[in-house]
Amino acid sequence: MEIIKTILIYAVMLGSLYLLVSLGFSLICGVLGIFNLGYGITFVVAVYGMWFLMHTCGFGLLPAIAGVFVLQFLFTLGIIYYPIVKRYMEQEEFLLTSLLLVSLIIEEFVNHVYPITAGVDIPTTIIPGTIELGGSTLPFQMLFVVVFAVIITAFFVVFLLKTRLGLKIQAVSQNHDAAQLMGVKVGRVHIIAMLLAAIPPTICMIVIAPVWAIEPAMGESLLQTAILVTILGGLGNLRGTIMASLIVGLISSSIAFLVNPRLVNAAILICVFLVLLFKPEGITKSESLW
Amino acid sequence: MVKIEHKRALLVIRFRDKKFEWPIETRYWRNPLLGIFGLALLPVFFIGQPDFLSLITTANIYAAIAIPLGWQITGIGRLNFGPQFFLGLGGYAAGLISSTYLWGPWATLPVVILIGLAFGFMLSPLTSLAKGLYFSLITLILPLIFLEVTYYFSIFKGETGVYGILPFVNVQSITTEQVFACYFSLILMVIFLYIVHKIMTSRVGVYTAAINDDEEVANNLGLNIKAWKVVCFVVTSVMITIVGWFAAHFYGTFAGVTFLPLSFMLKILLVVMIGGRGDVYGAIYGAYFVVLLEKVLMVFGTANYILFPIILMILLFTLPEGLYGLYRKHRYREYYPAIRVRKR
Amino acid sequence: MILQLQNVSKRFGGLKAVNDVSMSIGSGEIVGLIGPNGAGKTTMMNLISGAFKPDSGKIVFDGIDITGKESYQICRHGINRTYQIPRPFPEMTALLNVAVGVLCGKRRPDMSLSDAMLDASHFLELVGLFGKRNTLARDLSLFELRALELARALATTPKVLLIDEVMAGLNQFETVKAIRLIRKVIEEYHVSILWIEHIMKIIMEATDRVVVLHYGEVIGSGPPRNVVADPKIIEAYLGEKIA
Repeated sequence: MEIIKTILIYAVMLGSLYLLVSLGFSLICGVLGIFNLGYGITFVVAVYGMWFLMHTCGFGLLPAIAGVFVLQFLFTLGIIYYPIVKRYMEQEEFLLTSLLLVSLIIEEFVNHVYPITAGVDIPTTIIPGTIELGGSTLPFQMLFVVVFAVIITAFFVVFLLKTRLGLKIQAVSQNHDAAQLMGVKVGRVHIIAMLLAAIPPTICMIVIAPVWAIEPAMGESLLQTAILVTILGGLGNLRGTIMASLIVGLISSSIAFLVNPRLVNAAILICVFLVLLFKPEGITKSESLW
Repeated sequence: MVKIEHKRALLVIRFRDKKFEWPIETRYWRNPLLGIFGLALLPVFFIGQPDFLSLITTANIYAAIAIPLGWQITGIGRLNFGPQFFLGLGGYAAGLISSTYLWGPWATLPVVILIGLAFGFMLSPLTSLAKGLYFSLITLILPLIFLEVTYYFSIFKGETGVYGILPFVNVQSITTEQVFACYFSLILMVIFLYIVHKIMTSRVGVYTAAINDDEEVANNLGLNIKAWKVVCFVVTSVMITIVGWFAAHFYGTFAGVTFLPLSFMLKILLVVMIGGRGDVYGAIYGAYFVVLLEKVLMVFGTANYILFPIILMILLFTLPEGLYGLYRKHRYREYYPAIRVRKR
Repeated sequence: MILQLQNVSKRFGGLKAVNDVSMSIGSGEIVGLIGPNGAGKTTMMNLISGAFKPDSGKIVFDGIDITGKESYQICRHGINRTYQIPRPFPEMTALLNVAVGVLCGKRRPDMSLSDAMLDASHFLELVGLFGKRNTLARDLSLFELRALELARALATTPKVLLIDEVMAGLNQFETVKAIRLIRKVIEEYHVSILWIEHIMKIIMEATDRVVVLHYGEVIGSGPPRNVVADPKIIEAYLGEKIA
């Protein structure tokens, strides 16, 4: 019985983590209709940007957080959107290849400047220490992951459903051309979607940095998770992504506690593959963002 | 019994009741034969320098992977971002069987082929999933997860990899071994080249071109596209598995960390792209170019890891047709021999 | 009756594109399918050729029930179609385009590529494209593309040919040539044709029988002269006031 409680608690925790990781990817999928294979690098930029600002430039914590958001937006627009996405939107193979190349370039560059041994440490611990919950010891920081996941998702949902800009974003995600005919500036909506999608990874990394293994290659495994969760939940559908991240969280924690933590990713892949065999559109068959 | 007649450019061989016709059109096989002859002579020039010889072997191996991959891209219509999954499959299968049961390379070959077939069929539903991009995404993830699994099960021996694999030939001197490696890899590449060339110039090649151009129309014309996509995927995956088998037996060791990560995949992908996006002969040019580029960039020290993808990115931006594509634009020659049909 | 549709329906979300349609085509008959835009004519064609599966109803071809079968199976039974906007294989030559039809249309596993290309050249000769056999399909003109579509569809030796607005965009002379071509095809190959067309002149001259669709339902059928004079049909096309 103890183990089931632990599994459930970790399921919620991991699910919220995966939600933060996949939310942006799903949004880009839905609104721009492309797979942003450079998404993994957003995480790397977030962490190493913070480290750069705090350690090399000597910023304080709050200015660094503000600074890293600016850095992230500049990066998304300057390197990912304008040169690559806008140029190759129609030709998939080039788009995907160049995004992969860019993530490799940035990863190697960061590895060169701040190798794994550099000891990146970001002091964003809000409440240090651990808490006893349902028989297992959890770091407080992870609880904040859940809190932030809920806040960000709620913000996204309210933004999409209740604001005029959100309505425009939904329109573009459902039918590009019809939205344009209705007077929506599609280019601008794309930019806003990409900027919005860069927010959850940055916040996720800021919160999780103290308790996560930081290395330049972590972008790849986080991208993996984002892809699997998004495919499972139906591309570009936020409701599906939320459900899928909780399901994947459940699978992860069960396999981690019942079998072996190292087999988690293999298990997720097998599950996604099986789901795709029988339900090719993912869990939710919806064509829209919500 | 066997009668051979030669009329103009047609060679007709009659054997009992059967008749074999062979239109002799030298322009289609003269250049490839010259090229292969040139490549075969290449190791002779570098006999004293083992590092150049190993470059040639690596280039041949890259080409042997890129040639079936080129067919797969046109046959399925989507980019496979994880061909090295099958490479790892073949290599680990051959390596583990050979080092545990001490089987020689020719004994492990059938097992490797069977494993390749099994996994090819298991993964083949990916080719006809509704949103075709899923194929690219899931093949992207497959090798990475395979790598993680190899770290977990100690039988794969983690980062050092499987060792003690029986080689093809037992020679004492390293240089002779390298020369053997060059020629064996060349033979493997030429065999693959021949197979894919024969396929592309047969009716299956026309099916491939039709699926690539317009799937729905091909379906309406009576072509079972799901079945042919599966055939294309399975055959090319088995071919790539065989390259893995070759690499394992030749180098004596096989470590997933060399072949499975993203960086290796990008090299192969760039061989394909520089060679003209899936062109069969262009892949050979692409392979030698990429290998040379790697060697040249070594002089920059550790910064070469950054420079390599940057240069390839620049090439991708400026030459969408690949280097070989430039050559083809200047001298366009159709791939299928033009049948001389005369009005009666 | 070589092709029979019995109570076929298809809806897309809330829209009933084809509503309980029953019609039949006899062997060697040329049936015109007319109706205002959006009446469901192309949807019918897609249903028969297998691109969509009907929600209800049955389609019987030559005694075989082909409802819900895949497009390539339906093609091998003997039904083929052309497209309103021509869809050739752009990177292949005209000869190869038709060769695909020859190779895939009926099960011929032992035919080599060169034999198929020889066969294909006969079809190209029939439609008058023999001179352009080695041109890439994307370099052909509209009339040539339409002829290529016809040749490619014929190469699969169909018994029923579905023709979708093949005269759209052609000038007077090309239209005359096209009608002559289709007549030749019918004589030589004895195919039945279901012909979607808007140009009334052709409907009157070339078809034996006409079926009229309006909002997915059949509102009239019979010889062309009778159908065109029917007030209900005039109302559907031109509105109440004129009728």
